[in-house]
Amino acid sequence: MSFHRVLAAAIVFALASGAAELTPEQRKKNADSFEYAWSKIRENMWAPMPEGLDWQAVHDELKPKAASARTMEDARAVMRDMIARLKLTHFNIVAADLYDELGNGPGRRGDGGSPGLDLRLVDGQALVVSVDAGSPAQLAGVRPGWVLVKADGAGIREAIRKLDAALPDSTHKELAMTRAVMAKIGGAPGSKVPVEFLDASNRPVKMDLEIGMPRGEASKIGFMPAQHVWFESRKVENSGYVRFNLFLDPARLSTLFANAVEECSECDGFIIDLRGNPGGIGGMAMGFAGWFVDRQGVRLGAMRMKGQDVKFAIFPRSRTFRGPLAILVDGLTASTSEILAGGLKDIGRARIFGAPTAGAALPSVFEQLPNNDGFQYAIADYISEGGDRLEGKGVTPDQPARWTRKALLAGQDPALDAALAWIRKGKNQ
Amino acid sequence: MNRRMLLLPALCLLPAWAADQALPKAETLLDKYVEVTGGKAAYEKRRSEVMTIQMEIVGRGIKGTLTRYTDSSNNSISTGELEGVGKMEEGVYHGQAWENTAIMGPRVKSGAENDDAVRDSYFNAPLLWRKLYQAETVGVETVNGEDCYKIMMTPLAGGKPQYDFLSRKTGLILKTERTMVSPMGEISVQASTSDYKSFEGILYPTKVVQNVMGNQVSLTMIALKANQDIPKDRFEPPAEIKKLMAK
Repeated sequence: MSFHRVLAAAIVFALASGAAELTPEQRKKNADSFEYAWSKIRENMWAPMPEGLDWQAVHDELKPKAASARTMEDARAVMRDMIARLKLTHFNIVAADLYDELGNGPGRRGDGGSPGLDLRLVDGQALVVSVDAGSPAQLAGVRPGWVLVKADGAGIREAIRKLDAALPDSTHKELAMTRAVMAKIGGAPGSKVPVEFLDASNRPVKMDLEIGMPRGEASKIGFMPAQHVWFESRKVENSGYVRFNLFLDPARLSTLFANAVEECSECDGFIIDLRGNPGGIGGMAMGFAGWFVDRQGVRLGAMRMKGQDVKFAIFPRSRTFRGPLAILVDGLTASTSEILAGGLKDIGRARIFGAPTAGAALPSVFEQLPNNDGFQYAIADYISEGGDRLEGKGVTPDQPARWTRKALLAGQDPALDAALAWIRKGKNQ
Repeated sequence: MNRRMLLLPALCLLPAWAADQALPKAETLLDKYVEVTGGKAAYEKRRSEVMTIQMEIVGRGIKGTLTRYTDSSNNSISTGELEGVGKMEEGVYHGQAWENTAIMGPRVKSGAENDDAVRDSYFNAPLLWRKLYQAETVGVETVNGEDCYKIMMTPLAGGKPQYDFLSRKTGLILKTERTMVSPMGEISVQASTSDYKSFEGILYPTKVVQNVMGNQVSLTMIALKANQDIPKDRFEPPAEIKKLMAK
């Protein structure tokens, strides 16, 4: 039976059962799921439990609650409580029905659809930093530099303030806050969300913003929920420029990336824009790095697993790009993106522009639990070639360049402009 | 006191038990393996093999199919695709091992990693172990409830030893342990082998479960065609690998 069939059966059952109490069999599956997840974390933790956490005590406290949970959501809440105590990224419980919504059916608010704009939180405001060509947002006239003031009746500034107060200070905070705000303008493709912006002249602009299909092509690997992957490349001045939203769909993305580099063999420089890229398959960082490093025996860093280190070796391509390499990052650059940026920075191959990254860089895997929910858990720490943990620290740009409203309204992109200036300077020297 | 009294007789008995349990020579066990899996003559009739293998990363929902071609030239090539991951190819061509995946791209292997791959590519390897390894029986261990002789196979050309576990009862290999050396570091791999079936006169394990880097990889052989005419150019690596070889 395929995974989707298993999920579909679970969803049908959930719909039919509504809010009814779980059967003894379902409770047993939740207890088994708790035990499985708890054991996996214990077996794979690469270092002593964070902050001296007594993992057995966590088990003894929470397993009875998981076993007696009255609803699936209650059971998930108990498991999320368990993993939250680790205070580490890359541990998640994914509700079984989310797989179907993301992978097969139309989305729900926050579950895939997008109006086609990207936001960043700057000075307590949600700034539009890019608008996809042909997207509902562009067709509605939304422009970079506008400020999202309200979404679905809720004040965004107030939401940001609450999130800021509620979330602990960490390098991941910007990532979590921005995702929460972005979720307010997500939804089912074809639906609309009432929003209010401030335009370039600070005039309020109200509209019902249409939610479009997610950009890119759906990609699914194992039990990881399906996600849409897009890739864009172009020449800016005489430099190659690539941007993509995830390190997934390797067959397609690796080919597109290869084409972009090979078509730019005579370019003055090459720019990889990893702003907003939360990562994906870690090994793809090694594959992409091979286009820019022509020495054997060079590494991006190492994955520290329980009992062994696995080095992220770079395998040079037959023909590499040897010119200046710039990588753009920001607070939403995470995981594999940080491995690529941090690794190439450490070996002196790339110069990093933008804002500090999310510091969320634990290699992880997805499995399916006995109750059909998805379970993501980290299996290793990541140590950069310079010897630093990236988790909780992130990659610090060589040249800071942050989004500002003024720059966006002027059609500028501070990090990209800084990278191009650096490439021009190198060419002229 | 009671414990000490029990311990002393046990210690006295140990040398006697060990003397009775002298380990058979590795060469006897490895030659027996050839016999129980079909015999030297059956192996010597083999010129080529094409295997179809289903692959799954257990518990992760990642599956795919591989086809592996080998022949008496000792060249080999495996090609396949994993769902959501893409193409995977690897091979050995005239003593040079290579790999090409959608995730990490093309690479040619060198040093100990190349040596391992070339040894693994030897056709009819069970007949040729004397040419490749020094073998020594080093103990008895239980594998899935069966007593097995543990044989240390040390490559004659140098490199890390691997361990084969052969059933005392059937003579079949039930487990192997090895350390793979690569630019990514030393990675230990344990593989259990089971479900032996005869394919045109030779027994093969049709189920191999590898434990590697916290993953369990299940390989199930669903078909084996022997003595097919494999065109020589089937073993040629892809163009990108050839460019790396020429570099």
